[in-house]
Amino acid sequence: MRVHSTLKAGAIGLALAMIVTACTGGSSGTITNGQSAGASKGPVKRGGTVTIAELGVSPDFIFPLPPATNQNGYNANLTEAMWPYLVYAGDGAQSVVNKDKSLFSTLSYSNGDKRITIQLKPWNWSDGRPITSRDFSFVYNLLKANFSNWNAHLVGLFPEDVAKVSTPDARTVVLDLTKAYNPDFYTDDVLSTIPLLPQHAWDKTSAGGTVGDNDTTTAGAKAVYAYLQKEGAKTTSFSTNPLWKVVDGPWKLSEFRSNGYYSYVPNPAYSGSAKPVVDKVIESPFTTDTPEINALRSGSSLDVATLPLNDIKQAQALSSSGYSIASVPIPGVAAVMPNLYNTAVGALFRQLYIRQALEYLINRPQIVAKIYNGYADPGNGPVPVKATGTWASPLEKAGGPYPYNPATAKSLLQAHGWKVVPGGTTTCVSPGTGASQCGAGITAGQALTFNLLYSSGRTTTDEQNAAIKSSQAQAGITINLRSEPFNTLVSTIGTCTAASHPKSSCGWQLAEFGYDPYPLYPNGTGFFDTGGTNNYGGYSDPTMDKLIQATEYGASASTFTTYEDYAARQLPWLWLPLREGITVYRTKLRGVVPLNPFSSTNTFEDWYYTS
Amino acid sequence: MRAYLLRRTGQAVVVVIGVMVVTFALIHLEPGSAARATLGTRATDERIAVFNAANGLNRPLTAQFVSFVKQAAAGNLGTSYSLHQPVSTLIAQRLPRDGVLLGLSTLLALALALPMGIFQAVRRGRAEDHAFTVLSFGLYSIPDFFFGLLLIAIFSVQLHLLPSQAPQAQSIGGILADPRALVLPVLTLALVSMASFSRYVRSSAIITLAQEYIQVARSTGLPERLVLRRHVLRNSLLPVITVLGLSARDIVAGAVIAEAVFNYPGMGQLFFQAATSKDYPILLGSTLVVGVATVIGSLIADIAYSLLDPRIRYVDG
Repeated sequence: MRVHSTLKAGAIGLALAMIVTACTGGSSGTITNGQSAGASKGPVKRGGTVTIAELGVSPDFIFPLPPATNQNGYNANLTEAMWPYLVYAGDGAQSVVNKDKSLFSTLSYSNGDKRITIQLKPWNWSDGRPITSRDFSFVYNLLKANFSNWNAHLVGLFPEDVAKVSTPDARTVVLDLTKAYNPDFYTDDVLSTIPLLPQHAWDKTSAGGTVGDNDTTTAGAKAVYAYLQKEGAKTTSFSTNPLWKVVDGPWKLSEFRSNGYYSYVPNPAYSGSAKPVVDKVIESPFTTDTPEINALRSGSSLDVATLPLNDIKQAQALSSSGYSIASVPIPGVAAVMPNLYNTAVGALFRQLYIRQALEYLINRPQIVAKIYNGYADPGNGPVPVKATGTWASPLEKAGGPYPYNPATAKSLLQAHGWKVVPGGTTTCVSPGTGASQCGAGITAGQALTFNLLYSSGRTTTDEQNAAIKSSQAQAGITINLRSEPFNTLVSTIGTCTAASHPKSSCGWQLAEFGYDPYPLYPNGTGFFDTGGTNNYGGYSDPTMDKLIQATEYGASASTFTTYEDYAARQLPWLWLPLREGITVYRTKLRGVVPLNPFSSTNTFEDWYYTS
Repeated sequence: MRAYLLRRTGQAVVVVIGVMVVTFALIHLEPGSAARATLGTRATDERIAVFNAANGLNRPLTAQFVSFVKQAAAGNLGTSYSLHQPVSTLIAQRLPRDGVLLGLSTLLALALALPMGIFQAVRRGRAEDHAFTVLSFGLYSIPDFFFGLLLIAIFSVQLHLLPSQAPQAQSIGGILADPRALVLPVLTLALVSMASFSRYVRSSAIITLAQEYIQVARSTGLPERLVLRRHVLRNSLLPVITVLGLSARDIVAGAVIAEAVFNYPGMGQLFFQAATSKDYPILLGSTLVVGVATVIGSLIADIAYSLLDPRIRYVDG
């Protein structure tokens, strides 16, 4: 009997130990810098299958020009491997144009930067037909007639800003623009959103219709676009529809299931130099990161996965399961948005000194070190220092204009008529508009109490905002936190401006969505300009507008730095650290690093197994 | 019986319509805009207006509801705002998956709970009864997501015996063709349900065993095995029938937690994601299907009562 008891106790103990070990993982593991890591080499073994975890949302549209109502960013993940953009963003770890993978051979600006001459590479479609300038004019004609129903359209830009498209020969496109642009801006932010599409196969209005020059009339372009949009939404025929079999990228779709599972095989006719080595790439959908981590740790099915930073504690366990882990900075801006026109607190946010005090009280270095374990951009201003370092100004690289400094924050408030009560409630004791008074619209006794709405679902975000709440309290500023699912947050936060204060969508005071991504050229269009699409809080400053326009239309390199430093100092948003992306990959799979900040796990034509 | 069934069907229609009215009102009372939730942070006022017009959201609520009812009556549940596919297609893809998972787990739970409950009733008050009671309460009190994670930690991560994910195939045939991947999710749901079912069976069997007809049966020399099978088992099933009838709703509504843990997108995940993204067509369509399943399950339970217990008769009128 005693033997039985001992055995039973031992068995239970063993089981518990196994559970504890399995559930906790390790405390640390080697995470390489995905940007600086050199491309590891090894004997190339041709063939093999790579299975990639696809976390969160799955693609649902295959035509590369999705409608305005379809905001699923994963559609670009699906299509980019088959129809790459004219300008390919990211070369290895560098945030620059990848000339090798782009479809142009030369891009030249002339006529005071109002004319762009594009020379296309002598590449072919998968059916053997050449890629020609007609394929560009096909895209242009479709978008010209339908731009309001294209989700990547930016108001006033392509194709609205094109006066004329000419195609002097089969490989040359000449774009005459209505105004002069900064070449960096136009190449990096506009031409990088335009794929070439096979006019010889897609220029028809029905499945049985004749391919012709239907796109050359507005009515015809509308009909072609409507047909391609209709076909592009049919998930059941993504891999079988003859339309989608004509590609110019390195991959062809071989299977697509309605749950988001899909696979590629190499396009044998791909003309680029980086030809696929592996036989097949599978994208396997995961609804949350929990089963993804379990699948990785069971070591069976996954070769590559991206992980939320919350799971960084699993690094050791994953390393011991044969995986390598790399981090990559995200090109984007993370911030808390103040609502300058909220009825209760808008007057407070309209005061620059209050925004400055709030920023001085965000301990960004500590958030980076303690919450993100060092895997985050410092968030010193509007331009990320790590991901798009070439554009970051010396001011941002030096820590930004408002390094963590509670004493300065308190002094600022006191100098403007506030009674600062650390740990308590700071109140305005000197209302008025004088230099040493609280400012317009702020009443005596008004407290610095704000509600911060943020997107739920990430432990690191919870911890970050709890840290902000705590550090703001040092100057008597109260932050009330509330988290909501991202879509719920988006649905309740509307744009508020001086002219508009709808109760239903202007009730928010501070909001944090996570981050806003940048294209290659990280200027502030749409974020900080008056009426910008993402300018929810109603920030409006003629000087900022002028500086942003200068980054789009001016040719001087210094205009960007001038804009950047001005935005960093003016605080249209409160700058925050931006977490990095974490990629897990089988150690025997080479070519994954250095990670491209713009398409870290989509460059699978560069991947191979070692023999 | 026919009149009874007609009356119950009529009641069911009223109940389903009532559920739809309440659901429709609730989702529209919730603050926020479906257009903004769908179009994301870069939605312009123009795009929001186009979205609202295209989906009829700029019309009065009553008109929207009437349109939904008319379309639903014609078999059209609308198109998802966020997934851009017909709701009926989305439900048709996911419902069979939940049917397999929850159907198998329910069958396994019953297969385990019936003998266990009757065994406990027969051995009432003895060590075996106490042991199974502890087991039942233990299993019942463990949240299913935690139980699932424990099983994965042991059998997938540590021992590498079973896959951590449920089958990823789309068709029922494909799912059943991967039985190893079904083991952990089915076991997770079955053991928790078994704990619940076995308590009902035990209680019911204890009452049945105390009935005079059981003593009569025994006194006639009927073997105990036959007494249990013919008299106790049949009568002990009645309360379980009620639970099973109501669990038809669960089979259709999905198991959101188990679906998440085992990466098995079904009705539960579909409904959860629709709720967070204000995808009204999916919310209404799913509610309609679940409502119908609930009343049908309840009706089948009532009919099963009369079949199992001849004393129960449904009176017309």
